[in-house]
Amino acid sequence: MNRSNRIRTLKGTVLLIAVVILLRLFYIQVLDETYKTNAANNVLRYMVQYPPRGEVYDRNGEFLVQSKEAYDLMVTPREVHDLDTLLMSRILEIPVEQLREELAKARRYSPYRASVVVKQLPKETKLKLEEHSFPGFYTVYRTVRSYPTKMAGNLLGYVGEVNERIIERNPYYRSGDYIGMSGIEQAYEEVLRGVKGVKIEMVDVHGVPQGSYANGIYDTLASPGVAITCTIDARLQALAEELMQGKVGSVVAIEPETGEILVMASSPTYDPDELVGRERGNNYMKLLNDPRRPLYNRAVMSPYPPGSTFKVLQGLIGLQEGVLVPEQTYPCHGGYPYGRGMKCHAHSSPRDLKGAIQTSCNAYFCYVFRNIIENKKYKNIEEGFDVWGDYVRSFGYGRKLGSDFNGELNGNVPTSAFYDKAYRGRWNGLTIISLSIGQGEMGCTPLQMANMVATIANRGYYRIPHVVKRIHDRDSIDSRFYEKHYTKVDSRHFDPIVEGMYMAVNEGGTGHVAMVPGLDICGKTGTAQNPHGRDNSTFFCFAPRNNPKIAVSVYIENGGFGATVAAPIASLLTEYYLTDTIKRPDLVERIKTMQIAYPYYEKQRGK
Amino acid sequence: MRSNEENSLTVGGLDWMTILVYTVLVLMGWINIYAAVYDEAHSSIFDISQRYGMQLIWIGVSAFIAISILLIDDKYYHILAYPLYWFSILVLIGVLLFGKEVNGAKSWLFGIQPSEFVKFTTALALARYMSSYSFDIRNLKHLLHVAILLGLPVLIVMLQNDTGSALVFGSFLFMLYREGFNGWVYVALIMIISLFIFSFLLEPTALLIVLILVCVVGEGMTNGNWKSKAIYLAGLALGSTLIYTVCQLLLSIDISWYLSILIAATLSIGVVILYAYRYKINNILTFILLFFGSLGFTYTVDYVFNNVLQIHQQKRILDLLGLESDLNHWGYNVNQSKIAIGSGGFTGKGFLEGTQTKFNFVPEQSTDFIFCTVGEEWGFIGSAIVIILFVILILRLIRMGERQQEPFGRIYCYCVASVFLFHVTINIGMTIGIMPVIGIPLPFFSYGGSSLIAFTILLFVAIKLDASKHNESPFVNQ
Repeated sequence: MNRSNRIRTLKGTVLLIAVVILLRLFYIQVLDETYKTNAANNVLRYMVQYPPRGEVYDRNGEFLVQSKEAYDLMVTPREVHDLDTLLMSRILEIPVEQLREELAKARRYSPYRASVVVKQLPKETKLKLEEHSFPGFYTVYRTVRSYPTKMAGNLLGYVGEVNERIIERNPYYRSGDYIGMSGIEQAYEEVLRGVKGVKIEMVDVHGVPQGSYANGIYDTLASPGVAITCTIDARLQALAEELMQGKVGSVVAIEPETGEILVMASSPTYDPDELVGRERGNNYMKLLNDPRRPLYNRAVMSPYPPGSTFKVLQGLIGLQEGVLVPEQTYPCHGGYPYGRGMKCHAHSSPRDLKGAIQTSCNAYFCYVFRNIIENKKYKNIEEGFDVWGDYVRSFGYGRKLGSDFNGELNGNVPTSAFYDKAYRGRWNGLTIISLSIGQGEMGCTPLQMANMVATIANRGYYRIPHVVKRIHDRDSIDSRFYEKHYTKVDSRHFDPIVEGMYMAVNEGGTGHVAMVPGLDICGKTGTAQNPHGRDNSTFFCFAPRNNPKIAVSVYIENGGFGATVAAPIASLLTEYYLTDTIKRPDLVERIKTMQIAYPYYEKQRGK
Repeated sequence: MRSNEENSLTVGGLDWMTILVYTVLVLMGWINIYAAVYDEAHSSIFDISQRYGMQLIWIGVSAFIAISILLIDDKYYHILAYPLYWFSILVLIGVLLFGKEVNGAKSWLFGIQPSEFVKFTTALALARYMSSYSFDIRNLKHLLHVAILLGLPVLIVMLQNDTGSALVFGSFLFMLYREGFNGWVYVALIMIISLFIFSFLLEPTALLIVLILVCVVGEGMTNGNWKSKAIYLAGLALGSTLIYTVCQLLLSIDISWYLSILIAATLSIGVVILYAYRYKINNILTFILLFFGSLGFTYTVDYVFNNVLQIHQQKRILDLLGLESDLNHWGYNVNQSKIAIGSGGFTGKGFLEGTQTKFNFVPEQSTDFIFCTVGEEWGFIGSAIVIILFVILILRLIRMGERQQEPFGRIYCYCVASVFLFHVTINIGMTIGIMPVIGIPLPFFSYGGSSLIAFTILLFVAIKLDASKHNESPFVNQ
């Protein structure tokens, strides 16, 4: 019995061992999925196929941004032999020490895997490299941006390599990818970038490629980025930038009917090509350290006091509120006599509404403003003031317009709550009287001011200003750009205002310098106080008076009177856009060469 | 009476089932070596610059040897057992003196690995010695002779620094059990291995408690009277708590729980001995010895581990127990092996489709880690078939042994079964991470002429002995 027990024990041992092994195999092969993932991680390498980035045209089909082919030079250190580093550095046009250091870095990373030696080589260099054979080296197709018109840097934006934060936020991006960092490049990133493709390759234990995975059935081709046609008129933009030389400020021009932005210039500007290629880092730092801040897009970010251009809005609100009729006259003898008072320049008195706009009378609009906010139909000044605020906001002030352009700021329209807090509840119409002429707490971006004048040109509505006219694989742009936004002021109240603006330019008003015979330019000057030096010069206008084609807003920091510099620029742009010619070359020359001193900015250089 | 079914399997007295299993395993082995070293540049199966080409030659040689064995009269094995044994020992010593070192082991001479063949000669010598009429497995002197026969090759192979091959001789314990070797030896072995493992996995205090419980429960199972065991354990618990509290609070000695329990247990021995004397239960003494023996063993484990084992052996054990993981170095092989096998899934990736295999992620894949290819390309199904075939082979060998009339043949067959069981368990076990990495081949699968030929000889001598016994004494079965 003992013997057969022992035989059974031995057989049982054999079976037990077999069962344990089978269970373990079943567990790691069938139940546990991690080994399959690990195996894929071992063997599969995902090679990104980069698409060319979409191009950008101006409204007339001219290139604003092109994609140039460029090549990254890669090296697999293990496969390098007989390398003439001197010859290669000469071809690459980099110092030989730098080349050697890059190669050493690549070797340290991995002798078997490819690393980048030099990025964004031009095609000619790539061809030269191919003439000589450099074993272990190869090039990868990438695209880099080029900006043939060399302008509108802040508008077009620039493209840069993604950083850790972007990769964390958006899983589409991988280290080494490019992304639009500002302007249109950023706003339309998803259209322009295209879709990356992937080629799945198998590698052996050393990381050496062993052919495509599953005969490439999981590979995807890169699909190129889609081109965009911009609303910008390149010639007009070029003229604007030329005229803005030596001045700090911004020009925005809009086609009133559609809300299409024709010009968006922020000065000083920069050549967008400087932010491409190998010198990019240095150039970027240079721009960043420039005290006049060329990377700051003043057109949508700078909250300026609108100055006298704001008076037309007071008039419109007064008319709508019924506290003003166009025939109403107010006397002005050197200013508004109440409270701390408000000075005015010399003009005949009394003036009606049109005349007040024509001569930009301060006193007149102080009366209008007080009548609006101190209206007896509201229970107190706070309520009256907030009604006024609602009107102002209905013109697009005090908030982002919702353009397709990144980086827009709100500007500022103060509220009664703000003044309650600032003055501890003790304020009245006289305390805030400077608002009536666009001073004080009002902050408007040049884009908002341009939108305002476009709204007047349209007699009461605007379409959200935007910079993209067409995305080439779509029938339409975002629907919000087709919507009409009506203000809270009825269309009929605009006529006397337009008349006043017409007179300001064409009948010896403050904007006389902007007059171009036959173009019927309607405009309004503005001279806004600047705590950091001379007054700001501003002017907005539209033309022609009936069926307007262009609305322009110009804002020049420390430019002096509106008529000094802003009005001529707006006038020249309007003329050029409507007639395709300029009949005042000497004016162009004068404005172009006009240099404004900015002691405030220069002081900051040291900091 | 033999059944008809068995008749059909033993045409000419040969166990055709075993030969069939052998043939299938060898062919499967070759296919997997082909897959393991395959690359597109060399795909001709006869290319002897490649391992599958060479293996094909070894298969041919093995077939020739197998047929020769079947033709040679089996009585020579009995006669030649000792001469062959001593000859192989001489060759082993020769290897030690003039051999070539491969992978840290000096076990090669003229392109062959004699230690593979020593398993065969040792099996023959053991069978010869243990089958003599005067042999008694309970006789210590006879056991000593067996130990010398086993110990000589083990010693020399150890000196060659081929620990894996030396351990294989331990597998003869399987055969010895069949021959009536004392069962307590196996219990003790299992306990030692368990203690070894637990001394790594458990805290000392927990280990001490487990030891006490095992001894008390063991004594209880032998002698009954569970009530007294419960009282004893309760007293021990109370005693150690008392010692701990008194020392900590009254004497301000910072004593550990471990020491408190140990003191309580040691003090209790007096009571236990009194109890044993009073009730005349002598085997309690065995359990006291067992307790202190085990305790002593746990103290030596650390020393043995750190001073006797080599660094790679230490690391492999730590990796296996999951105590230390270094996937880039010591644990790399096993980890990659598990990835290859685990990624095979239920049905496998298919012949030549195993990516881990093709792109050489597992080192030593055509030799010690050949089972990775099976696991990856043929999946759970393929792996299970291989394991079942080995089980059939081993059970078949046991059966052949049992139907021998002479102890010589039986002992020999069991020796062969032992060697196969050990190789298969350790080799497959290590590739799936349940056995430590010991570099021994998987029979018929791993690349290498020496091992294939040696396993073939081992098996076919068993088949020949089996066939002859059937033919010679047909009357015995009636």
